[in-house]
Amino acid sequence: MLRFIATRFARALVTIVMVVTFAFVVLRLSGDPALLIMSVDAPPEAIAAFRQAWGLDEPLWQQYLKYFGAIVQGDLGRSMRDGRDAIVLVTERIPATLALTLPALAIKLGIGIPAGVYAALHRNSLTDRLVMTTAVLGFTVPSFVLGLLLVLVFAVQLGWLPSGGQGTWRHAILPVITLGVGGAAVLARFTRSAMLEVLGQPYIRTASAKGVPWRLVVRGHALPNAAIPTVTIVGFMVGSLIAGAVVVESVFSWPGVGRLLVVAVANRDLAVVQCILLLVAATMVTSNLVVDLLYGALDPRLRQMRAGGAH
Amino acid sequence: MSDSVLPAAAVAAPPKPRTRLPPAVALGIAWIGLMLAVALLAEVISPYAYTALDLRNRLSPPVFMDGNWAHVLGTDELGRDVLSRLFFSIRMSLLIAFGATIIGAAFGTTMGFLAAHFRGVVEQAVLTLVDFSASLPFLILALAVLAFFGNSLMLFIVLLGFHAWERYARIARGLAISAGAQGYAAAVRQLGATPLRVYWRHILPNIASTLIISMTLAFPEVILLESGLSFLGLGVQPPATSLGNMLGYGREYLTRAPWILLAPAFTIILTTLAISLVGDWLRDRVDPTLR
Amino acid sequence: MRDASLLEAKGLVRRYTMRRGLLGRSVDVTAVAGVSLRLERGRTLGLVGESGCGKSTTGRMVLGMEVPDAGSVAFEGRPMPTPGTQAWRALRARMQMVFQDPLGALDRRMTIAAQVAEPLEIHRIGDTAERAFRVEALLRNVGLRPDQGARYPHELSGGQRQRAVLARALATSPAMMVCDEPISALDVSIQAQVMNLLVELQAEHGMGLLFISHDLRAVRQVSERVAVMYLGTIVEEGPPDALLQDARHPYTQALVSAIPHPGRSSNRIVLQGDPPNPASRPSGCAFHPRCPIATARCAREAPALRDTHEGRRVACHHADAPVLAEVA
Repeated sequence: MLRFIATRFARALVTIVMVVTFAFVVLRLSGDPALLIMSVDAPPEAIAAFRQAWGLDEPLWQQYLKYFGAIVQGDLGRSMRDGRDAIVLVTERIPATLALTLPALAIKLGIGIPAGVYAALHRNSLTDRLVMTTAVLGFTVPSFVLGLLLVLVFAVQLGWLPSGGQGTWRHAILPVITLGVGGAAVLARFTRSAMLEVLGQPYIRTASAKGVPWRLVVRGHALPNAAIPTVTIVGFMVGSLIAGAVVVESVFSWPGVGRLLVVAVANRDLAVVQCILLLVAATMVTSNLVVDLLYGALDPRLRQMRAGGAH
Repeated sequence: MSDSVLPAAAVAAPPKPRTRLPPAVALGIAWIGLMLAVALLAEVISPYAYTALDLRNRLSPPVFMDGNWAHVLGTDELGRDVLSRLFFSIRMSLLIAFGATIIGAAFGTTMGFLAAHFRGVVEQAVLTLVDFSASLPFLILALAVLAFFGNSLMLFIVLLGFHAWERYARIARGLAISAGAQGYAAAVRQLGATPLRVYWRHILPNIASTLIISMTLAFPEVILLESGLSFLGLGVQPPATSLGNMLGYGREYLTRAPWILLAPAFTIILTTLAISLVGDWLRDRVDPTLR
Repeated sequence: MRDASLLEAKGLVRRYTMRRGLLGRSVDVTAVAGVSLRLERGRTLGLVGESGCGKSTTGRMVLGMEVPDAGSVAFEGRPMPTPGTQAWRALRARMQMVFQDPLGALDRRMTIAAQVAEPLEIHRIGDTAERAFRVEALLRNVGLRPDQGARYPHELSGGQRQRAVLARALATSPAMMVCDEPISALDVSIQAQVMNLLVELQAEHGMGLLFISHDLRAVRQVSERVAVMYLGTIVEEGPPDALLQDARHPYTQALVSAIPHPGRSSNRIVLQGDPPNPASRPSGCAFHPRCPIATARCAREAPALRDTHEGRRVACHHADAPVLAEVA
């Protein structure tokens, strides 16, 4: 078990290092930030001074090492726009984003999983079809379309809710619904197929053939086993708590991390983009790691397989 | 040398029994056919050029909202015909989605084959890349790359091509390993075939159905990604137009002219829905193991 | 360099590494523990043993499909090239393999004719018309109708598939063929037909054959010489009739006694102990825990395969003892 955890940790670390490298390579090699920030007709001395100030005149590998060292020490650079620490800029946006994504996650789990389980247990019933149809729609209607339609109906036509911005809790209703509905649909669909898969297994049939009450079969055998694949997708949802609202935040002009990212990307604000990339990757990797460990706890077979071959 | 005696026979699948199409799937196929026709015939069937301005008919509503028949789906702020723009947007979005899906499948399959063939270090490298792809939401990755490399259509398509590559890589690697361990691939290898021949003429045709289904499943995702990025203003750039691009533009006129936005919105929904339905149906019929 | 020797393998060893469980240490499994054999032109060597005794691994090493951890393989006097190299690929035209499962060995998305033509394409033999002609001849040669070439593997019967595999193997007129359990996946009624075909084809094409099987009787039908394998080593080798009538190794004796004989009351030797496990090889003679005549020496010291008489070889400390079956 120790070895299993160690391998997973090593993999997670490698992934983080790769993200850092990726960010560096893509962002540094793509263009000369000095020319983007300064206007094209800026005097050469000013550009040179800018480069020197930001370490852009050093060889790339030196920039990389420096950059890496800084990150290890927790220094993620300063925004090229307003000179503040990137990490501060990003972290002060996190609460706003979580104010949307956490309630949305609650909706996804609270609606998606029970709906999926119910649909699986009442396969081919009217409810099942309803759940599945909604689920397919939830997947195919992109969040920005859903968001705009909601705005059109509830803000423009009915005037019940504000169409964007942040202020009262009423501002959060539409974005939270937009985020939650799509995820709930995906989760319902996934849970349903995981449940169906488990319900088709011989041990379920054996248990019910032995006369175990169906309720107990479901609770004791089906649910725990169906939980295993579902954990993965829930893990992904938890991992995207910070990054998952980019589009929705843009639709509703919500001042969260996602909006910051879009603006930073448009302005080529290297430090901020890198900071967000790292933050997102770190959440994602952490939650993947937790999922993997949970998997190990839920399914001892898998623990062995993974450690054994890694294939 | 793959152009040899009987290349056609290599891909000819054994005939399958016919079954009746579920109505929803039939509708889906019909819709996809319609979209393809629109994309191919955009110039012919568009009433106007998609950039043509009609300054006397600005923000004219569609026919069903008491508009005039000159602009069936209405016009936008500059008096451009929404229907014509929609046709060209469909063409652009489908072009991007096709290009990106094919690139993704080709790249992913190649990586999967490389991993399966060389094993060892190469395989570990590919698997690490797969892990890396899984560790970042693709939208974030795409955002970073796009904005910093500037924006050209080719780059955009290639970038979207990397979406879901890891899925093809996983599938191709798994199937190639099981094919290579025993059976036909090993048999052909001992005939003296080069690895290229083994993978191209034997393994690829044998796993093609699985890959094609994965492509159908990934296709709507690419459409959504494209429209999402274009919506954020970071995808297809004006004067070119795409479904997401139209949406992003229409958003500004949400209160005054919702039709600008509604036409592409419903096109996106119906197209992704149709392809998902057909893809799911294909998967369930041909390869139920793919979930 | 003797001309008669087509292939010579010396001291082949093959180990696999296996890891058991989560914290399990890796265990070396010795699948083949020092096998030497020689194949002659136009002759057949049978290789017999239980499943897991390393006979298939030996077959793959002899073909150069697997690289031995120790020992060497020489084909027509030259060492086996590294797998995957140009020289190795070219050599594939000279040596071929026939598999146990013909359905698995054929590509289910290609017609039989295309698959029989494939070795010709790979080794660039003839042009399109010549290949088509040759494929037809090959199909007839193995007893298939030329029109069956247009079929797909699943449209043929098991025996026909194995014929197709044989046609493909013969396409480049190989000097050597390794048949790994070529009939054990077939219906009993078909087995004899395929065996006869194999014998005919060998007589016609004159290739050296390594015939691998768990079935001593099948091997006896086709082979000039038979080698018996147990846990990765050859324990006895000789002409099949001599082995059957006068087996010297206790393991061979057990195998022979297991063949049902009409008219002779069975005095079958039932082996004691666990079936062989290559992951934990016994010390000394690998057979000693199950051997009815084992002595302390057998547990200590592995017997060498030595020539006895009339071209026979045995690896047993007690090979000169009276035949067990007669004692019992």
